[in-house]
Amino acid sequence: MTLKQKRLISKIFMVVCLTVVAVIYIYPVFLMVVNSFKPFGEIIANVLAMPKEPDLSNYTYVIDKIKYGKLFCNNVIITVIGLIGIIAFSSMAAYILERRNNRYTRFVHTLVITPMLIPFQAIMITLLKSMNVLHLSGSKVGLGIQYWGFGVPMATFIFYNFMKTIPRELDESAKIDGASTFRTFISVIFPLLKSVTITVIVLDVMWIWNDFLLPLLMVNSSNETKTLVLAAYTFVGQMNTKWNYALTAMTLAIVPSVIVFILLQKYIVEGVVAGAVKG
Amino acid sequence: MKRKTRENLETVLFSLPAVILVCLMMYLPFVLSGYYSLTKWNGISKDAVFIGTENFKSILVDSRDFTSSLWFTAKYTFVFVIFSNVFALMLAVVLTKKFRGANFYRGIFFIPYIMSMTIVGFIWKFIFTNGFEKLYEMTEMGVWNLSWLGDSSLVFYAVAFVGVWQSLGFYIVLYIAGLQAVPADVLEAATVDGATGSQRFFKVTLPLLGPSFTTCIFMSLTNGLKVFDIILALTKGGPGTASNSVTMQIYKEAFTNNNYGRGSAESILYFLFVLVVTQVVLKAFNRKEVDL
Repeated sequence: MTLKQKRLISKIFMVVCLTVVAVIYIYPVFLMVVNSFKPFGEIIANVLAMPKEPDLSNYTYVIDKIKYGKLFCNNVIITVIGLIGIIAFSSMAAYILERRNNRYTRFVHTLVITPMLIPFQAIMITLLKSMNVLHLSGSKVGLGIQYWGFGVPMATFIFYNFMKTIPRELDESAKIDGASTFRTFISVIFPLLKSVTITVIVLDVMWIWNDFLLPLLMVNSSNETKTLVLAAYTFVGQMNTKWNYALTAMTLAIVPSVIVFILLQKYIVEGVVAGAVKG
Repeated sequence: MKRKTRENLETVLFSLPAVILVCLMMYLPFVLSGYYSLTKWNGISKDAVFIGTENFKSILVDSRDFTSSLWFTAKYTFVFVIFSNVFALMLAVVLTKKFRGANFYRGIFFIPYIMSMTIVGFIWKFIFTNGFEKLYEMTEMGVWNLSWLGDSSLVFYAVAFVGVWQSLGFYIVLYIAGLQAVPADVLEAATVDGATGSQRFFKVTLPLLGPSFTTCIFMSLTNGLKVFDIILALTKGGPGTASNSVTMQIYKEAFTNNNYGRGSAESILYFLFVLVVTQVVLKAFNRKEVDL
C-alpha cells in the first residue's frame, strides 16, 4: 500500500467516525421534530419510531392555541427594539469615548463596561422592583428597552476596541470639510463600523431571541406579551406533560433560529468568534 | 459658545444615553440589592424592616441551602469547563482537517448553541424520561434504566452533560479559529526538524493556542457560573436540592419563598463569588500565554 492510499483510508475512517458522532449528537433534536408529528399515544408507545403517518394536528392545535403569529411578532418587536437601541447608543458612546481622551471619558468608559462583570441573577430581584417603578415591566416595548441597558456594556466594549483601528485622520478631514461631530459620526465613522456591527447584531439577536429569564420575570403574565420560548415553557408541566403539544411548541420556537442559521451560517459563526475574541 | 465648552457638551451628550441606561438597569438594581440585603422584605409590602447583617448570618451559618448551592455551582463549573474545552478541542482538531462537507459538520455541532437553553433542557427532559425508557426496552443496558433526573447522586452528571452538549459548538468554532491561526510555516519547520504528528500538536500547536484557551476557559467559566435555564427546565433544582445552583437558589428564595431580603443578600454573595473566581482564573491564565 502506498502512502497516498494509507492517507486516504485514514481520512475515510476519520470521516466515518465523525459522521457517527455527529448523528448521535444531533439525534435528540431530530427526535423532538419527529415526535412532534405523532399523536400522544404513538409517542408513549415508541419514542424512537417514525410517525405512522405524518400528523399535522399537533401543529394546527399549538399554532392556534399560542397564537404563533402573534408571539413571533412579539419576538421580532422585542429583538428589533433591543438591537436598535444597543447599536445606536453603544456605537455613539464608543466613538466619543475613544476619540476624546480626558478624565471624564476614562471614567465613563469604566462605568459603562464594568457591568459586564455583574451576572444577571445577582440583580434580578431588585431589577423587577425598579422596572415596576419605571413602568417598563409588562410590555414588549419596555422589555426591548431593558435590553438596551444589559446589551450596552458588551457592545460598547466591542465598538470601542474596533474604533481604535479607524484612523483619526478621517475625523479630522471631515471636520475640515465643515462636518459637525454628529455628522462625522453618522456619515464617516458609522459606515466603517459595518463588520463589527454585524458581530454585535449576531450576538445580541441570539441572546435576545432565545432569552428566557428576563422575559419570564417581565412579560409572562399576559398572553399578549409572551415570547416563543415562554409559550413552550408553559406547555411543559411538572407532572404529566402533553409531550405531543410540548414538542410541537418547542419545535416551533426553534424553527426560525435554525432557518436563519442555515441561511447565514458563515456570518453567524464569524460574528460569534469575533465577539468572543474581542469581548 | 467657546469651542472647548461645545466639545465637552458633545462628549457628554454622546455618552449620556449609555450612562443613563447602565445606571438604571445595572447599577441601580445592584445598589438596591445591597440595601435590601440588610432588610427583611417580602417584596410586596412598602417598607422593608432593617435588620443589619442578620440575613448574611442566617445564610452562611444557620442554613445549608445557600452554601450547598454554591458548592453545586463550583462543581458544575469545574466539570463544565473541563469537558466543554476538552471535547471542543478534540472535535475542532478533526473539523479543521480538509474534507468535503466540513462546514456541514461544523453546522451540526453548532445547532444546539443557537437554540434557547430552556428548549434544550426540555428536549433532554423528554429524552431522559421517555427516550431512555424505550432504549432500555430495546437494549436492556443498565445505563438507560437509571433515573438520571430523579436520583440525587446522578442528577449532577445529567445536568452537566446537557450543559456541555448545548454549548460545545460555541467552543468548537472558537478553537477552529485558533487552530487556523497557527502559522503553517511553523508547523512545517517542526516537521522538517523531525517532529511526529503528536509532538507537533502538543509542542507547537497547543502552546500557540494560548489566546484561544484563555478566551474559551474564561467564557466557559462565566457561563458555568451563570447556569440557570437548563436546570430550571430539567429539574427545577431537584430532586430535593440536589441540582440547586446558586442562581436557582436566589430565584427560589425571592420568587417562590418571597424572601426578597434574603434573596438580595444571596445575590450579593453570589456576585462576590463570581468576581473572585473569574479574577483568580483570569490572572492565572494571563501569565501562562505564549507569544509568537
